[in-house]
Amino acid sequence: DEFLEIAPTGSLADAQVSTSEGIDGLLIGAYSMINGNLGGNRGSTPNHWLVGSVLGGDANKGTDPGDGAALATFQRFQADATFNEINGLWTARYEGISRCNTVLSTVAKSSESLPAEKVTEVNAQARMLRGHFYFDLKKNFNNIVVFDETVLPTDIVLIPNDGDAWALIEADFQYAYDNLPETTDAGRVNKWAAASYMGKAKLYQKKYAEAKTWFDDVIANGVAWNGEKYALLDDYAKVFNAAFDNHVEAIMDVESSNETGSVRNSNWFDDLNYPYLTGNEGPGDCCGFFQPSFELANSFRTGADGLPLLDKSYNLPANEVKNDMGVATVDDFTPDAGPLDPRIDFSIGRRDIPYLGWKPHPGQAWIRVQAYGGPYSPKKFVYYADQEGTLTDASSWTRGYATMNYPIIRFADVLLMAAEAEIEAGTLENARTYVNMVRARAAKSEFWIKNEDGSDAANYVIEEYPAAQFASKESATEAVRFERKLELSGEGHRFFDLVRWGVAAEEINDYLNYEVQFLQSAYSGASFTAGKDEYRAIPQTQLDLQPGVLQQNPGY
Amino acid sequence: PQTAFANSSSDLKIEVKDIFQTTVSGIVLDSGGIPLPGANVVVKGTTNGTQTDFDGNFTLEVEDDAILVISYLGFVTKEVAVDGQSTINITLADDAAALDEVIVTGYQTETKRETTAAVSIVKAEELAAIPSGNVEQQLQGRVAGVTVITNGQPGTTSQIRIRGFGAFGGNEPLYVVDGLPVSNTEFLNPDDIETTTVLKDAAAASIYGARAANGVVVYTTKQGKRGKRKTEMTVNISSGVTDPNVGGALEILSPQDQARYTHIAYENDAAVSGDPVDYRHPQYGSNAIATLPDYLYADGVSGASASQVNLAQIQSNYENDPDNTFLIKPNLAGTNWYKEITRIAPISRFSVGFDGGTDNGRFYSGISGQNQSGILLENEFVRYTARFNSEWDIAPWLSIGENFQATYRSVTGGFGGNGGIGGANSESVILSAIRMPSIIPVYDEFGSFASTKAAGFGNARNPVRVLKNDNGDDKAYAVGGTGNIYVLLKPVDGLTIRSSLGGTYSNSHYNSYSYKYLGDSEPQASNGYSEGSNYFFNWTFTNTASYDKLFGKHRVKALAGIEALNTGVGRSINGSGINPFSTDLDFQSLSVVQSPVVNSNQFKGVNFYSLFGKLDYSFDDRYYITGVLRRDGSSRFGENNRYGVFPAVSGAWRVIAESFMQDQDVVSDLKFRAGWGQMGNSNNVDPNNQYSLYASDRSSTFYQTNGQASGTDEGFAASRIGNPDAKWETSTTLNIGFDASFFNNKLEFIFDWWQKDTEDLLYQLPLPGVTGNYASAPSVNIATMSNKGVDFEIVGRGNFTEDFSFEARVTAAFLTNKIEALAPGLDFFDGPSVRDIVATRNAVGHSLSSFYGYNVTGYFNSQAELDASVDVVRDEAGVAVLNQNGETTVALDAEGKPIPAQDGQGLGRFKYEDINGDGRITADDRKFLGSPVPDFTGGLTLNFKYKKLEFETYWYTSIGNEIWNQTKWYTDFYGVFEGSAKGPAAFNSWTPELGNNAQVPRWESASNFSTNTVGNSWYVEDGSYLRLQRLSFSYDFRGDLTDKLGLTKLKIGLSANNIWTYTNYSGIDPGVGGGADTNFGIDIGNYPVGPQYMINFEIGI
Repeated sequence: DEFLEIAPTGSLADAQVSTSEGIDGLLIGAYSMINGNLGGNRGSTPNHWLVGSVLGGDANKGTDPGDGAALATFQRFQADATFNEINGLWTARYEGISRCNTVLSTVAKSSESLPAEKVTEVNAQARMLRGHFYFDLKKNFNNIVVFDETVLPTDIVLIPNDGDAWALIEADFQYAYDNLPETTDAGRVNKWAAASYMGKAKLYQKKYAEAKTWFDDVIANGVAWNGEKYALLDDYAKVFNAAFDNHVEAIMDVESSNETGSVRNSNWFDDLNYPYLTGNEGPGDCCGFFQPSFELANSFRTGADGLPLLDKSYNLPANEVKNDMGVATVDDFTPDAGPLDPRIDFSIGRRDIPYLGWKPHPGQAWIRVQAYGGPYSPKKFVYYADQEGTLTDASSWTRGYATMNYPIIRFADVLLMAAEAEIEAGTLENARTYVNMVRARAAKSEFWIKNEDGSDAANYVIEEYPAAQFASKESATEAVRFERKLELSGEGHRFFDLVRWGVAAEEINDYLNYEVQFLQSAYSGASFTAGKDEYRAIPQTQLDLQPGVLQQNPGY
Repeated sequence: PQTAFANSSSDLKIEVKDIFQTTVSGIVLDSGGIPLPGANVVVKGTTNGTQTDFDGNFTLEVEDDAILVISYLGFVTKEVAVDGQSTINITLADDAAALDEVIVTGYQTETKRETTAAVSIVKAEELAAIPSGNVEQQLQGRVAGVTVITNGQPGTTSQIRIRGFGAFGGNEPLYVVDGLPVSNTEFLNPDDIETTTVLKDAAAASIYGARAANGVVVYTTKQGKRGKRKTEMTVNISSGVTDPNVGGALEILSPQDQARYTHIAYENDAAVSGDPVDYRHPQYGSNAIATLPDYLYADGVSGASASQVNLAQIQSNYENDPDNTFLIKPNLAGTNWYKEITRIAPISRFSVGFDGGTDNGRFYSGISGQNQSGILLENEFVRYTARFNSEWDIAPWLSIGENFQATYRSVTGGFGGNGGIGGANSESVILSAIRMPSIIPVYDEFGSFASTKAAGFGNARNPVRVLKNDNGDDKAYAVGGTGNIYVLLKPVDGLTIRSSLGGTYSNSHYNSYSYKYLGDSEPQASNGYSEGSNYFFNWTFTNTASYDKLFGKHRVKALAGIEALNTGVGRSINGSGINPFSTDLDFQSLSVVQSPVVNSNQFKGVNFYSLFGKLDYSFDDRYYITGVLRRDGSSRFGENNRYGVFPAVSGAWRVIAESFMQDQDVVSDLKFRAGWGQMGNSNNVDPNNQYSLYASDRSSTFYQTNGQASGTDEGFAASRIGNPDAKWETSTTLNIGFDASFFNNKLEFIFDWWQKDTEDLLYQLPLPGVTGNYASAPSVNIATMSNKGVDFEIVGRGNFTEDFSFEARVTAAFLTNKIEALAPGLDFFDGPSVRDIVATRNAVGHSLSSFYGYNVTGYFNSQAELDASVDVVRDEAGVAVLNQNGETTVALDAEGKPIPAQDGQGLGRFKYEDINGDGRITADDRKFLGSPVPDFTGGLTLNFKYKKLEFETYWYTSIGNEIWNQTKWYTDFYGVFEGSAKGPAAFNSWTPELGNNAQVPRWESASNFSTNTVGNSWYVEDGSYLRLQRLSFSYDFRGDLTDKLGLTKLKIGLSANNIWTYTNYSGIDPGVGGGADTNFGIDIGNYPVGPQYMINFEIGI
């Protein structure tokens, strides 16, 4: 019989991972799932560019109709439960939960041999991460399966998807808040990440007063990993620049790095989200996904008073942002001369505007199929010309593996969430203060995008909100919500915000009806169905694997 | 001579005979008058005998009333009385029924007469006929019941399936070469092979127990023959070419048509949206009539006119930055990309074999070389082998022997994983050639490769560049040895004890280069280099004792054995990196690249420990019964189920030997056979299946926790969930058959009906997402599958005249494959998706890899149909009463039925069948659309001999299988990668006039559920085909000419292979494979099998 026993190679058994070092490794394995990589599925990306930004109207799928063809169905709200990307989202997040639970159960088994502080230190991180993964599932699917580390896999598969996720999420964030240190390694979660995320969880549940308490705490006392007090960076551009990663505005990030032996540790989720056919004169070179929308560009239109057109008149022909649809790169084009929020040119790549140290965006030459994806290129998470090879990972076929961290929560986001909570508390002036902090940073003209001659690249006009806008709850709410759209565009938040505000059907159908005028083949036949499209279908694959256990979401 | 000391009458008789001893000589010839060297000539009842020499001559001292018994393998043994003659010339008749033909089966040999099992033999010359890099390919159509799925890459691994598909994976048969189990047969030189036996049923194969469920292919290599004689040398030389068959390649549109149909697509888009037509292609101008530009790309400008281009400036830019400066003119005549990536590819093979023997030993040695180029540029296969087999007697009861082969093998420039099987699933260069617009030239004006950097042509990569640059410098080879040594002991009469120790060692290495190229729309940004190496070692130790004795009419044969083996231990190491300082081949190594990544791996193989026995009993050559029992233990399984026992029983009744059959001359042989048995399969399970493990993996378990921009920290995650209770898959086979021949063996039938039920199928039950999906799910014994079929073989032979004979051989097999059960609550699992389209579903009640999707009933042909196609509200009886707009009348189609609502519907788009009748096309409206498993496969060999001229033709057919033609997704929709090459289907795209007769949907940009984002029946085509695999002429010069030249053999042949195919399949080649048994039959850029033309010489000295 000894002859018939061969020990496995290249892997570890229970006993080896149950040591202190083994548990550290398991915890890193759990962190590893923050970037959503379980087979490289576009639906599972941590920045939610597809399920948050594209569905929310920040951008369209882009590129060519045949490239990621199924995503086109998705952006029209026509994808059914068999849409594979959604299965990727479900499985990647549950993989994250599974790894957290492995950490927690291994710690529980080995707790006698571990120092007590080690137990709490590891458990607090694992629970923080687990809360994050559950939150992600909750906002995408709403009806999910909820369990903790004490449930055996054989029992997990019998649990229906009607669990009380918020209870577990809050318990996890609370434990994390109580037990995590303030200062940590730059890539790990700290106490204030837990507090911020707890506030966000309260906000999603419309527990505004509790949310306010948490946000007040973060704003007053929160510090970044290195102990520095949270603050907005001076320069909006630095938030999206890998050279400044782990800055004081970052509360919880997806860490990204190069030279790791796998491009999956860099921004694999944005690897195709670059202008197309740029050659050496532009970043990434491929593939033209994630093109900002006409509607988003127009949203940056301001009045002469430097304030956004909250009445949506930005989509009127007179106010639309002039673009180069149908204009060849070799033909002349005069860019829009009207007043614009300066953040447009940090967020959207458009013709003739300087592009991150590369040449000014040449328009059509960098767009794959303009008639399908529109005239704009992504810009926020694109790397600078001087970062090629140093803050990108060049070891794969495309140059598009950048190392910029993606902010899951950043301080500007907290300020704007806090503003919402303040409005509900009736302290409208506090809300105005927070919104104006965000606008004031954007208004620092020394950091605006400049032409080579030092002049502003466009006619930027931005002012802080006057008290009048915050005189009523309604107009204050309007302003805060619009500020989130402008400040956080392309960061994967928009769709979830619209859903939690209860305005998704109206806003998104308006968006689709506007956009289809320009992108006929991308959007014809698209519409958002209230009561169904707020949440993603429970993947058919999962319903098939757990027949009679999982229930499909309404409308699918 | 004198009489001496005679003291009994019988003794006296002998003595008297001695007196009349004489020398007899003669020549042994075959029926064609050709001398038979090595024929045995023995005096009946004695050991006195000899063998014929190379001219068929013999000389023997005999008594003058002796009877000579002349025997030769494959000929009817003949007895001739000497009767005082001094010269006797003997002509042996071909032993057509070959009842005494020796079949090498498991651990022993038996004659065809006595076998009770379903076994097939492939003639050595058939294996050698078509030069392929892998002898297994030649089983196609030669053996009834064997399915071979292969492709045209030289040296490719083929999928060999004996009697269907027993499991979800690991269905490859067990290969045994000279008693040694081997993992593949790619090392074998076909000219070294003496016999090939395919053991198909349990009666034959279960002696191999746990590894036999998929059948066993037993090869023996040439051994030489005993007897003192001159060593014989045989030289085989073949040379020829493979033709890529450019004429048969898929057509793509000419530059002019491509431009014209681009504008038609825009017009159709405008018709849908109601907007003015936007002629927006960056190359074809903005007028209704498409024009072609002067330059496709001129240093940053696409679609430029000559006046826009400053050639001097571009020239100077090129000199400054040649990597990134392109000047591409349109190729107005159109580039035939398939032609550009292919070539007429030479093949050559030589083998030299030495065959010799002495009175107490024999040997065979051979060397060979095969160089074969693939029809794709830079695809090369090389194999050199040296073999030495020998056996020597040390004492009358003791012999030792060995078989050994050393092999050098190199395959470069091929594609697809798993030895080439996986090629059909990746985006191959062949697919690139199909996607590359014809207007793009291969080279630009500076001589650089031109590609899709010119805007508007999709994202294909210049496939000529991919082949030449990325494959041209690649090197890959493996060297190794395989063989065994054995001892034979014959302590008492009838008992043979054999002990054999064998193994295989191989070592391989590769270097692979990829070069920076910025001219593709999705460019290769870096120079890349990778290199790797591994070693592999396995061993087998087998001890058997066999006993064979005739007791009157009772014959008993017994075999007992014990075997231990390891399937292979080894280690591998490989690394990669980018941008070495210089791309000089002599410079590059892993030491000089940037961002080097090194990986290595070790494996220990699987140990088996087995006991087996076989007992044959026969009575009077009429009744046969055989029992087999094997017990296997394997480290692959946990201790709970480590051992498996595999029994088989079979019997035969040789009716022809009955007395009542003696007085007729119609039936010349008749034997009924029946067998039942169990066999195992353990291929489809990971050796670590019993363990729960954690692993680290740079791409999935690492994380940067310190905030650095470079590097990462190692983490772990659960990588495998163990199942300690897994056990073998067991297939139970029932086989009933008969062998019959008629009219003095002029007509032969071999017929087998069989059924194979595989239970406890190991299946990696997909884990629900909620449990985490990174860890591999354990294989559990859960599913069942059935295969049944009929194999038969018919041989007819005869003579038209004395000089003109023929033989016709038909092998045929019917097969039904069905998944009987998966897991409780699980009825199906799907194959992987290609470009988001899932083509295959493995479901209970259907064959493996069945095609699944929506059923296209036609196109939306009118606005009225579209208007009618809306969601409906139904009453309780299910009758449609309201449409979604609340209108009370629902538009109906011509048959009075509501037209189901469908996402993405539009004029000229696919209309799907509403299978569940709920008025809306949803995922529930998919159905099974066909199966890639053929119902029938067959081969036909026709052989005509006229004097020394021989003509042979061989046909193969596969009937009743479907193919999923995924290639059409790329070529037949304008909206798939707009601007990429499209096919002539455009000409028959939907128009109101064509209606349902259109070949493809409306030519437009739309990409949605009703066009190209879901799988449907439009992709499924009949994959049946009939192929003329081989046509050959040969002339045998044996006779005066060879005598004059001092040769024993001289044969020249001309042959043509794969020259003609009849099929309705629209793709490039209906012989479509796939990466896995659960996902095959999908055509996506397969490597086609091209016609070959060969000349062969066979010379014997």
